[in-house]
Amino acid sequence: MGEVVVFGLIAGGIYGLFAVGTVLVYRGSRVLNFAHGEIGMMCLFLAWYLVTERGLPWIVGALAAVALAAATGWAFERVVVRRMTEAPRVAVSVATVGLALLILATEIRLNGDNPRSLAGPIGGRGFQIAGVFVSPTQVLALLVTIAVAVGFATLLRRTDFGLGVLAAAQDPNMARLVGVPLGRVSGFVWAAGAAVTALGALLIAPTVQAFAPGAFGRLFLFGLAAAIVGGLTSLQGAFVGGIVVGLVEAGAGRLFAETSFPGLETLTIFVLMLLSLLLRPEGLLARSGGRRPA
Amino acid sequence: MNLLLARPGLRVAIVGALALALAPLLGRNGIMSDYVAVLIGEAVVLAAAALSLNLLMGHAGQISLGHGALVGVGAFTTGALTPATELGLPFMLAVPAAAVAGALVAFVIGLPALRLRGLYLAVVTIAFSYAMFESIFASEQVGGGSAGVSLPRPQVNTFLFTDEADYLAILVGLLALLWLVDTNVTRTKIGRAFRALRSDEAVASSFGVDVTRYKLLAFALSGAMAGIAGVMVGHLKLTVSSSVFPYERSLLYVVVVVVGGLGSRVGVLVAAAFYAFYPIAMPELFGTGVRGYDVIIGAALLVFTMARNPGGLAGTIRELRHERRSERARVAAEADAGVDDADGPALPKLPNMPRPASLAQRPEARGDAPVVEADNITVRFGGLIAVADASLSVPRGRIVGLIGPNGAGKTTLFNAISGLERPESGRVRLLGHDVSNLGAAARCARGLGRTFQNIGLVKDLSVTENLLLAQHTVAPYGIPAALGYAGPTGRIEDELRERAATAISGLGFERYADTQVGNLSIGQQRIVELGCVLVTAPEVVMLDEPSAGMSPAAAENLADRLRDLRDELGRTVLLIEHNVPLVLDTCDELYVMAGGAVVAHGSPDDVVRDPVVVDAYLGGALT
Repeated sequence: MGEVVVFGLIAGGIYGLFAVGTVLVYRGSRVLNFAHGEIGMMCLFLAWYLVTERGLPWIVGALAAVALAAATGWAFERVVVRRMTEAPRVAVSVATVGLALLILATEIRLNGDNPRSLAGPIGGRGFQIAGVFVSPTQVLALLVTIAVAVGFATLLRRTDFGLGVLAAAQDPNMARLVGVPLGRVSGFVWAAGAAVTALGALLIAPTVQAFAPGAFGRLFLFGLAAAIVGGLTSLQGAFVGGIVVGLVEAGAGRLFAETSFPGLETLTIFVLMLLSLLLRPEGLLARSGGRRPA
Repeated sequence: MNLLLARPGLRVAIVGALALALAPLLGRNGIMSDYVAVLIGEAVVLAAAALSLNLLMGHAGQISLGHGALVGVGAFTTGALTPATELGLPFMLAVPAAAVAGALVAFVIGLPALRLRGLYLAVVTIAFSYAMFESIFASEQVGGGSAGVSLPRPQVNTFLFTDEADYLAILVGLLALLWLVDTNVTRTKIGRAFRALRSDEAVASSFGVDVTRYKLLAFALSGAMAGIAGVMVGHLKLTVSSSVFPYERSLLYVVVVVVGGLGSRVGVLVAAAFYAFYPIAMPELFGTGVRGYDVIIGAALLVFTMARNPGGLAGTIRELRHERRSERARVAAEADAGVDDADGPALPKLPNMPRPASLAQRPEARGDAPVVEADNITVRFGGLIAVADASLSVPRGRIVGLIGPNGAGKTTLFNAISGLERPESGRVRLLGHDVSNLGAAARCARGLGRTFQNIGLVKDLSVTENLLLAQHTVAPYGIPAALGYAGPTGRIEDELRERAATAISGLGFERYADTQVGNLSIGQQRIVELGCVLVTAPEVVMLDEPSAGMSPAAAENLADRLRDLRDELGRTVLLIEHNVPLVLDTCDELYVMAGGAVVAHGSPDDVVRDPVVVDAYLGGALT
């Protein structure tokens, strides 16, 4: 049981970070960025190149990776999303699918299918909790997730700029009329969402050991499930959703350990996602009587 | 010959038969190598899969990012039924079996779509395809584990399709079948219902389209087509395993459909051919150095299409072809709209459209019951009581008005009567039959026609298409007949088109017949909306503020038309209206609502003198 909790928390923290990235973009523009998984992967390749190949310090590679993610999110907003303000939100989400494929194809073009690896920011053997070895990076990941979720939640709730972000998502025209700089707000959420995702990718890298183009599909989808469990608009919900998804995955893994049928954890998470959409679309943390999904 | 080619079914059959004969011929004579045949086969399979997604996404507007999994369901179904090693089901039976399997799975995915829309559906479908890829397809039991499932060359009777070119003929034949089904969908009420629910579900159901039923139908049909595409790919590859259907495969289908142009068969075909051939063609033309750029360019095209050219390939072609014609129509519409704003178009004499004997029947009126009766209707939105215990009754052949200040609950009561709003309590009777448990679509089918304050038309369809859609409930052919365009379907469709044309010429709208409704002025849209109601020959016509947005001159003219409705067309009218002179002029009876309750009822003269009514309109206290 203790193992399940530890494994669940370790994985859940990362799912939560991916979920926070998804929620940021969704809150600011009502769009799901399906390219987040691939943006994260692309950033890992940059970090791998700088740190493993060029021997630069981890922090330099990490900063460059996060900057690349932010720039990608920002540029996509600039070039594509901004031209689609009148389009249905689903159409913009389909465009992000295009971005995902674009990045994936570029990665394959430059790197091939070769697996790469990247060490964590903190070395050392780690320590044992409930019979599981936990590395310092894994603990750090959980702390970073909490810090990022709380930080962005505070920013959105307590600052004028953050309120502008929320207003822009509710009603762009009205927000513009009361003086919210829509372009800056939108650019900010797309950049921030991608940057948070890159952070998640950097922190999971030592745990997954080797990564290759397209390998973050599962991570992204589990993050999406986490965001949905949390209600898709709540940053705290995204974090809690991440932990829930992590725990359910670990629990299912334990439960189905004897079964030879593959992928039952994934199926379980799919069912969890479906149930939370149908039964509690407003999210785990919402007060009852929330809105239905539009 | 020209006449023959004008019939879409025949055209597809001819092209299919030609390909069927041509492919083996070219193969036998060594003109087409096996390599080329497989290459073309892959393009055909991609087109088939994309067509199935196009039906769901392009026609019905339901997004799916997981269609690859449905194709996989088809492939593994044929894999289980026609195993390579032992004696299995004949190939020709595997096709319908895979179609059924695909339809069933798609139906189940469609169930959450009844409550989830747009983005949520995208999430569910992509997660579904990922779960299938990682779990079911990867399992030993279904997907044959990492080795996959081996499939035999298809066999029909004793003929074994060992030549790639021979098998290509089957592929083309199946693609032609899917193409034909899609053609039949688009030219019957099924396609119109799909397009309506893509555009606006509330409007669709007010036109009598059962949204639940048609959404699930779209999923099931699309799943069946995807299943057939799965059979096609299975016997082409001869081995299917989980890795043949990675979830990214689904995204390629989305790319093909979007770049080809949502809803366009030809666009999808061209895009499929492009995406199948150019990864091969590029290195051939420019050397192997460019390998890998194909996907990059493909993805960039998708992004570009979404951002700059949402109509896709088909949209571009349509624009080029219709630029001048539609420009002229737009100018004409704008010119008219200008006149409209100045002193208003006279509302044309309404066409009398009697109930067609040949079209669908509805239950007869029970005795001389009132046409519409609402008993003690209460509608509550959260804590707010929008309609409180309101009752009204509309006798046959009368014009009954419903007036009251803003927020009195008039439109909500209308919605409760027409079935768009479920009241908390109270009953609604239509022609003496209790319809309280029926949805809006069923009430429409029973003869309730209504217009909307903000116009209940599908804005991105033409005037003609809206009038055809309006006749959804009176088109008495079944869905299977429509899919085959069989039985009476063709005759009924001709009749519906004729009625639509009659209505259009009756309204004097001939030159706008092909104009998108959204490009007409509000006044013109109201006229079209009225035409859509009348074309179904309703028992009762419920009008929600028909004079809103009309000039005083047009509104005056409206009074004559309302009387025509009653006196010449023999219809019963229930009317919400703020234009008090118009109401006094036309109505036989008036109901007054305030604060959700009916506060007065009687002849217009009595009602306007009622102190309660005066109070309500002046905003005084109602105690």
